[in-house]
Amino acid sequence: MESPGPVRMKDTSSKERLLNAAVLHWMHDLAAQGIVTTDSDLNVVEWNHWMEQHTGKRAGEVIGYNLLELFPELTQRRLDRHYKWALEGQVRVLSQGLHGYLIAMPAVSSELGYSQMQQAVRISPLAHEGRVIGTLTIIEDVTERVAREAELQAQIEERSRLLASEKLARNDAERANRLKDEFLATISHELRNPLNAILGWAHMMRLGTLTPANTERAVETIYRNAQSQAQLVADLLDVSRIISGKLSLDVRTVDLISIVNAAVDSIRPSVEAKSIRLQTMLDPAAGPISGDANRLQQVVWNLLTNAVKFTPTGGHVEVKLQRIESHVEIVVSDSGVGISKEFLPYVFDRFRQADASTTRIHGGLGLGLSIVRQLVDLHGGTVSVHSEGEGKGATFTITLPFVGVVSNQNDAEPAHPAQSDDINTLEGLPSLQGLKVLVVDDEADTRELISEVLKECGSEVITSRSAAEALEALERHKPNILISDLGMPDEDGYSLISKIRALPSERGGHIPAAALTAYARAEDRMRVLRSGFQYHLPKPVDSAELVTVVASLAGLAYKT
Amino acid sequence: MRLTERQSDALSELINIAFARTGAALSELTGHRVVLNPPEVAVYRTEELRGALAKFVPGDVASIHQVFAGPVAGDALLLLNYEGAVHLTDLLTDESKSSNYLDESAREVLTEVGNILLNACLGMFGNLLHVHVTFSVPRLHLETLDELLASITTNKSEMHYALVIYTAFQIRDSSVKGFLVIVLSVASLDRLIQEVDAWEARQGG
Repeated sequence: MESPGPVRMKDTSSKERLLNAAVLHWMHDLAAQGIVTTDSDLNVVEWNHWMEQHTGKRAGEVIGYNLLELFPELTQRRLDRHYKWALEGQVRVLSQGLHGYLIAMPAVSSELGYSQMQQAVRISPLAHEGRVIGTLTIIEDVTERVAREAELQAQIEERSRLLASEKLARNDAERANRLKDEFLATISHELRNPLNAILGWAHMMRLGTLTPANTERAVETIYRNAQSQAQLVADLLDVSRIISGKLSLDVRTVDLISIVNAAVDSIRPSVEAKSIRLQTMLDPAAGPISGDANRLQQVVWNLLTNAVKFTPTGGHVEVKLQRIESHVEIVVSDSGVGISKEFLPYVFDRFRQADASTTRIHGGLGLGLSIVRQLVDLHGGTVSVHSEGEGKGATFTITLPFVGVVSNQNDAEPAHPAQSDDINTLEGLPSLQGLKVLVVDDEADTRELISEVLKECGSEVITSRSAAEALEALERHKPNILISDLGMPDEDGYSLISKIRALPSERGGHIPAAALTAYARAEDRMRVLRSGFQYHLPKPVDSAELVTVVASLAGLAYKT
Repeated sequence: MRLTERQSDALSELINIAFARTGAALSELTGHRVVLNPPEVAVYRTEELRGALAKFVPGDVASIHQVFAGPVAGDALLLLNYEGAVHLTDLLTDESKSSNYLDESAREVLTEVGNILLNACLGMFGNLLHVHVTFSVPRLHLETLDELLASITTNKSEMHYALVIYTAFQIRDSSVKGFLVIVLSVASLDRLIQEVDAWEARQGG
């Protein structure tokens, strides 16, 4: 058991006096801690070498002076109380964690991230014959320890963070795996269902025992089931194309009204079978836009099929097509089973269905909406869903960018030279008589080929080797149509078209334009359309396609 | 030796004054409101301590230990279980993430907390008894309860009693249980109880 703290001072023999002097000498010169003693008025009596070194104050400057006057910060930080308590006989501990430091001293090295030395401090009373006659302060530099501990703590936290994220990733992977398993089970089930009917009826037909009326029914059933299976397979193929990035769009100017109408027509039999009220509200100002007609029809059809599938007999489904500023919106809403708040974020996920149980009421692979999202993405659009909850219906909204393709003849039908002129000069291609086409490409061969083809069809051709040249030619020659390469040194086709589109109409800002590019990915095509071109011509250029595009561009002006 | 209910109440009240002072000091230091629950006091013979404390501290114990000397002498300890000690330092030092061990800096913070609490209690006893006690530098130990008890009760020829004060630190919606153990000789305890009786009589009158 250690003995209580106060340092005893009593009469000593000369040997002891020598030893005490040696201890004092050691404390003054050699101790690796700061040592300060004061008398009972807190006037400094001892200020060791360590303190001199770290505070920059020589012993001669502080001895005899009051500690609290030398360091007014002690009083400001209410640390003077510890000296008062020490004078009452208490030993005081000042931890780094709660105080940082007692007397401000610069850190020995700034590399540890502390400008002030971090200190652990003990303040003890010095007593003689039961009376406190002074104080002893011992200051230890703990900066390095504190920094090391903080580093260690950070490492521990980092490790547990890593462990947590690893666990999360494992959970994700397990969930994805489970979803795939469920999907496989669903697929087998969905493919087998129509197969049962097909096999069953085909078997009976082979037996030759069916009445003519039943034979007709058998053929009808087999046909219907084969069709539904074909649809499943088509969906699967689409998904596989989407996953492998092989799905491409055949982008043209399309009329959304006829697309929506076509989708509505194809869904009508099932609508009528369930006595669902189907309402359409199609705004004529909504079309046309740039896109793949078949795929857009698939999108609308998928949404409609979904709506009809999840709407009970006697419910209603509504399709709305409207133009909102620079977007076209297709809204499909129903009064069906709705979507729970928990499932809402996963509606467009592949392989997901709200009810994945084998006893579920609604069939299907859960691919339709995922295909919808992918196709809408490819068109540069968005799809969103809203539902107040289960039993409260659902609303799907698709927005597609309106790329500004409108007729330049006061909304009249575009006057394509191909339709107004029968003089075909290149293997039955439309004439480009009277058109002035500006061709921009840094490659001479391509430039020549294109101008040759266009000239053959009767158009006048101006060629430029760069974007800068093209801008000049646009002002000087006032061409009707622009065909520009995208990949050019110095300034590319995107930059050129954005400069042109910034020009006023009379300086060529609305010139119909097609981009030439070897990039054939769907997102490149979307970028082309969004940047201000109306068409995208893949390289190598096909003469017939080129002439057809120029002819149809002749009827169009770009409108912002 | 057992305390009467009145003695126990009076002692609790006195210690509560020291606790209030401790709570105020810790609140000021940390910037959070720190309150120590009203203490419950009991007296045990040191041999009984093990049984009294065992169910509270099954594992390792963190103790801050100060020896005091003078006309009244003994050992004063603040006892926390290990998890409680970690939790208390986290709460006091604003650690947003919870640590699961006591590093050197955390131990030092605990030592300071124990020092404040023990000084407040022993100082209060000193005033009550009109005696001047001197203290050793506080030491923090991490050990099992048995090791701790052995270190208190060895080399004591005289019979000793332990004043066990149960409390809890309330801080930032959390509570950390703790024990204050003051080991005194029979003579010291007698004297303390006499003074407590006298104080209680003065309060009553």
